[in-house]
Amino acid sequence: MRDSDFLDEHSIHILKERAKELNCLYQVDEILSNQRLSLAEMFEAIVAVVPSGWQYPEVCEARILFDNHSYQTPGYIKSKQVLKCPISIDETIVGSIEVVYTRPVPASSEGIFLDKERKLIQTIAERIGQTLFHRRLKQVLQEWNRPRLDFPENHLEHEWMVILDLLRRTDPNMLLYVSRKMINHLYRNGITEAGSLLNDFSPGWQDTFSRGEVNYPSARVPLGNINTISEKTFQIAARHLSDQEISLLLKRWIQEQKTYDLIKTVDRIDASLGDIVEAIKRYREIAGDSPILYSATERWLAVALIRRFLSDNLDFIQVARQYLGISHFYEIAKRLIYPEESRGKIGGKSTGLFLAQQVLKKESHNYPLLSRVKVPRTWCITTDELTEVLHYNNLEGLNEQKYRDLKEIRMDYPNIIQMLKNAKFPQNIVKSLAMVLDDLGDTPLIVRSSSLLEDQMGAAFSGKYKSLFLANRGSKKERLDALMEAILEVYASVYGPDSIRYRAERGLLDFHEEMGIMIQQVVGKKIGPYFMPLYSGVAVSNNEYRWSSRIKREDGLIRLVMGLGTRAVDRLKDDFPFLIATGQPDLRVNIVPEEIKYYSPKKVDVINLETNRFETVSIAELLRHYGHEIPFAHHILSKYSENLVESVNAFQIDFEKDDLVVNFEGLITGTAFVRLVRQILAVLQEKLGTPVDIEFASDGEDFYLLQCRPQGLGEDAVPAPLPQDIPKNKIVFTARRYITNGQVENISHVVYVDPEAYSQLQSISDLLDVGRAVGMLNVILPRRRFILMGPGRWGSRGDIKMGVQVTYADINNTAALIEIARQRSSYVPELSFGTHFFQDLVEANIRYLPLYPDDRDVLFNEKFLTRSPSILTQLLPDYKHLEQVVRVIDVTEASRGSMLHIHMNAELGEAIGYLGEAYSAQIHGENWPKPVEPMPRQEVARYDDSYWRWRMYMAERIAAQLDGERLGVKAAYVIGSTNSGTAGPGSDIDLIIHVDQDPEKCALLKQWLDGWSKALAEMNYLKTGYNSEGLLDVHFITDEDLAKKSSFAAKIGAITDPALPLKLKSKRA
Amino acid sequence: MQMSETGYNPFVNAQAQFDRVAEMIGLDEATRQLLRQPAMEYHFLIPVRMDDGTTQVFQGYRVQHNDARGPAKGGIRFHPQETADTVRALAMWMTWKCAVVDIPLGGGKGGVVCDPRNLTRSEQERLCRGWVRKMARAVGPDLDVPAPDVMTNAQHMLWMLDEFETIHGGRCPGFITGKPVGMGGSLGRTEATGYGVIYTLREALKELGIKPEETCASFQGFGNVAQYAAQLYSQMGGKIVAIACWDNIDKKSYTYKCEDGLDSAQLMQITDAYGSIDKEKAQSVGCEILDGSAWLEQDVDILIPAALENQITIENVHKISPRVKIIVEGANGPTTLDADEVIQERGIFMIPDFLANAGGVTCSYFEQVQSNANYYWEKDEVLAKLDIKMTKAFHDVYDLSKKHNLYMRDAAYVIAINRVAQAVKMRGWV
Repeated sequence: MRDSDFLDEHSIHILKERAKELNCLYQVDEILSNQRLSLAEMFEAIVAVVPSGWQYPEVCEARILFDNHSYQTPGYIKSKQVLKCPISIDETIVGSIEVVYTRPVPASSEGIFLDKERKLIQTIAERIGQTLFHRRLKQVLQEWNRPRLDFPENHLEHEWMVILDLLRRTDPNMLLYVSRKMINHLYRNGITEAGSLLNDFSPGWQDTFSRGEVNYPSARVPLGNINTISEKTFQIAARHLSDQEISLLLKRWIQEQKTYDLIKTVDRIDASLGDIVEAIKRYREIAGDSPILYSATERWLAVALIRRFLSDNLDFIQVARQYLGISHFYEIAKRLIYPEESRGKIGGKSTGLFLAQQVLKKESHNYPLLSRVKVPRTWCITTDELTEVLHYNNLEGLNEQKYRDLKEIRMDYPNIIQMLKNAKFPQNIVKSLAMVLDDLGDTPLIVRSSSLLEDQMGAAFSGKYKSLFLANRGSKKERLDALMEAILEVYASVYGPDSIRYRAERGLLDFHEEMGIMIQQVVGKKIGPYFMPLYSGVAVSNNEYRWSSRIKREDGLIRLVMGLGTRAVDRLKDDFPFLIATGQPDLRVNIVPEEIKYYSPKKVDVINLETNRFETVSIAELLRHYGHEIPFAHHILSKYSENLVESVNAFQIDFEKDDLVVNFEGLITGTAFVRLVRQILAVLQEKLGTPVDIEFASDGEDFYLLQCRPQGLGEDAVPAPLPQDIPKNKIVFTARRYITNGQVENISHVVYVDPEAYSQLQSISDLLDVGRAVGMLNVILPRRRFILMGPGRWGSRGDIKMGVQVTYADINNTAALIEIARQRSSYVPELSFGTHFFQDLVEANIRYLPLYPDDRDVLFNEKFLTRSPSILTQLLPDYKHLEQVVRVIDVTEASRGSMLHIHMNAELGEAIGYLGEAYSAQIHGENWPKPVEPMPRQEVARYDDSYWRWRMYMAERIAAQLDGERLGVKAAYVIGSTNSGTAGPGSDIDLIIHVDQDPEKCALLKQWLDGWSKALAEMNYLKTGYNSEGLLDVHFITDEDLAKKSSFAAKIGAITDPALPLKLKSKRA
Repeated sequence: MQMSETGYNPFVNAQAQFDRVAEMIGLDEATRQLLRQPAMEYHFLIPVRMDDGTTQVFQGYRVQHNDARGPAKGGIRFHPQETADTVRALAMWMTWKCAVVDIPLGGGKGGVVCDPRNLTRSEQERLCRGWVRKMARAVGPDLDVPAPDVMTNAQHMLWMLDEFETIHGGRCPGFITGKPVGMGGSLGRTEATGYGVIYTLREALKELGIKPEETCASFQGFGNVAQYAAQLYSQMGGKIVAIACWDNIDKKSYTYKCEDGLDSAQLMQITDAYGSIDKEKAQSVGCEILDGSAWLEQDVDILIPAALENQITIENVHKISPRVKIIVEGANGPTTLDADEVIQERGIFMIPDFLANAGGVTCSYFEQVQSNANYYWEKDEVLAKLDIKMTKAFHDVYDLSKKHNLYMRDAAYVIAINRVAQAVKMRGWV
């Protein structure tokens, strides 16, 4: 037992020693792993615990020497009984640790210190070394991520060596990569000794190069020892580059490598948008805000992302890549909704806005004013979500819609809207949309289309697809439902007759159209029950409507309105936007106070937060009730008193009493607004390489960019191609001064007021008669199929001799107004540029052209105008005395079957009026030479004829179902804009109904028609967004009226623009 | 400015009219010579530094037809295609106009050949100041008093006034009229012309022995003049049967009719700032809507054309109802010459334009008087004084027409030209 007892005792002793050692090691480890301790604290703690691991702890002391400092236990003294071990970082001795016995202790067979103790101190020293290494590394890493400026020079000195060292031991691949990069870098920078090293990477490269490319595979050459090569490389580098340069290059290359994940993902052909978004997000975690890629990789990656998110168009990419970096796509990815496995893009409108925003942001360094431009918070839904929705709801059948007959499409459209509005979104999208609402809050929203075709180079879909405003009020669920419904309705507009017809006309039907969606916060403030921006508008680089010869085309144009920009975008029938030439803001369209007032905006589009509807309200009413709530009202209002328009400051407005005019005087003269818009237009035009068309809005304080697309895609700003080979005798005139863009086709009649004969008229009544005759011809001749040509200033209110005295109503049906400035004995009369009714012309899109027949480089076919037979006396027998002055030429008659076409091209500064074949909608596209860009046929583009066609169709439907016997109707006619083919989206349908005077039937009839009227109004609203109580404007006439030709009965059988009879429901046999 | 023209020439017409009346009066040759053309004409150049740094030279002018009765008075026109003869005719017209209402002013007209639409605000200001610098010695409260005209407004007048005062050192608001109220303008100007029309009508009715409350009238136009005329006519007890005005939406005019009488106050509430009555609202208050020309054909006692020139023509004059007893020309030249002859033959009592609508120029004169005194009257005072002037003017013309059995238009001319001729003579000029 003693033996065993001894053994036990010995074992226990040994075990105790092991336990002590282990315990000590644990404690040391614990200390080392405590990141919060400074090095000094760490060392002090370690020396304190180390003695406990030794055989005689009571006489044991410890010390660590590091960095010229000594950390030791209090009782430490120098002793011969010492155990010492160096501490090294990365094979460099940086210090030491030692343990001493202060008093003699018995030595065992292993000596004073046990073997295990020797091992223990070694382990501790190693661990300390490792910890020091890690700590240093961490510091380096931290400093990488810190902005460079924070680096004190000396810290940097050998930083690169540390990095390199780290790579050497941890990541040979990276080491190889950076070494190769470095040697290339050196060689490229003309350091010849690097050339020899290149050989080490790829022996024989010089041979290859000297011989040129060979057509057999080159032999694989094993790489030399990477460590040696990199050492050599960086030795050379150190001789030629500063430490700082090397560090920067190293870091850049290493991070380039790390973004490899993103590159790999983007490069993968089957990567979905989701994968890419994830990769971008991960990349951003590494990169933070600052771009970490340079040169080729960054460019490659940016282009790849542009292609995935924005557009495949090469021209676009060329521009976009100069402005978009990877981090910009994070901005998109942050607010992007896409179906699983999406391959979609964000669509044209979003793309245009996004690029413009980045361009302006970048250029704001050069133009500080641009830093004021903001963009409302915007979410995008990718273009393929529509496909997903169709699929999810089994609505794929809709895809063939575009190939159906237009009439069918039109009929079906209301159903499609309803079908789509009842469709469901996949759950993940619903969740995302809920998130959108959380992000955007309960401010009103606009849901805009952003299709692939829209706003891209070549085709403008302005207004063809819908944009819907949402008040975004109510419970979360209500708001979400409204949002989803709005998106679906915008989707439905892809299948609308307008857009399909538009695409068909431009040969774009086969393009696979996809519809992205933009969900944007509406800019504005709450004013009374309304939400509206203070002002918004559209601005274009090229001014196609110039009211003064001093305004140049490149002076640009702003159409400015109060409230939502809808009124600035569309031409207005009953109101005027304010026009500013950005380059010449002081040259106003209207000078006379009365005219300033007459042509100022009277209505404002708002979102009514109480009714949750988009509304148009009178500005006067709005000001009277809520004027005092409008911030910066003095920027847009002036006070009107007799013969004076006075600008005001905030304290001078009395909203109840003052006669206020919206003329933006404060904004123009008192703020940087015009300068800002001008700068935006100039910068975007320069950088995007094309004239632009932007939409903007302001809440009074900030300027928001809402949209940007190339200009010239607008409906009437397209330069007309100038036909080159027109024989001289077919040319009626050419012009080279003050030319704007546009095209007027198929003119059947020319009203020519002979300048010479006009000036010879002796009596004032004859002069006035000319104006009257023109006014009557304006009614008689086919609307928009005739032009007026005459001397000097049309509508001149001063001297009647200077131009035919007419008002706008006397000319409002003409297709073009042409002023002829003939050389008089010593001067050429100054033309009016249509200023007397300039804004009327703009809104009605009546083209204006000045002719200077006596200029040397133009043609003026006076013979055609003065010798062709005139039909004036047939049309207006009462004006026979003006036969020599007012000539009405039936072009077809005079030219044996031709029509007159006017092509105006501002790019070339030329215009031509010539006789040629009639163009018809049917042959368009086949016979008409295709211009470089898809060019809208003027007539169609200007008067979107779907509006009247639809109305005509509905009028026919109504008549077809009108039970004449039951409702006491004898006949029905259609008149007005539906009949004349000029109806717009907001027009009503004018009907004349011939009734017998049975009051009972009449009441029934009214009720019946009222139903139609309301239903049609709703349809029209869905179609166009134009809201009205009813769409029918019915005029009842009686036998008596008909006999007397009074009231609207006069329209029936009238010589010009007669009412068109409609076929009533066929009577039962 | 073009000095002469072939074809229609307004100055030739104005001279012809003068010659006819001169013949009627039997004016001596020297007086005819003196009055048939302007006494003084200024033509001058105004160099203006444009905003872009270049200089443009404009032609300025001022015609003072006659100042025998007092300082010349007349507008400043900014017109790109002005002809000298037009301006001469207008200056002469001003002389007669002031004389017929017997205000102590002569006639003038002036302006600049320019298109203000081609000029920025600051360029227009420099142009105005340039005009005054050139004319500073020949104009002034006691020489020649400008006023706004074609394409000039109160702002231009204030710039000109400021330049004039700077040159002359001191304030002289009487130099120019058409200033805003508070800056030397007169109250009551808005109402002046319309009220003036009715003051003359009231006197005419008195003379013809007709009670206003037993009359009914049809108006053409519902702008500034017609609105106030209608208001005062209603106050007098007259019944407005029809008003024709322009419809801005339909771009044509309509006649609004109500046999029982239109309520002018109510109509004004549904009229926009440009004299367009709201068609729907008019219908809802019981108006019948007729064609724009129907105002002329109404079965009324009084026709008041107060819109545009040349509205009563030889083509439509025969449509005037036999009931019509009086035509008051609220507008300038609403009746063509040939139609006027028919009216005269039919014995309809005519209150000619330059008498009927002289309320405007009279109020300008009042503005001048107030400015010179630097004491401004209340509106009632202005309108009361206007009433006195217009009433007196009407009776002078009427008495003459009675005494010599003259058509009212001729009587007005005779009075006007005679007054000027007399002044010229008394001054010993001829």
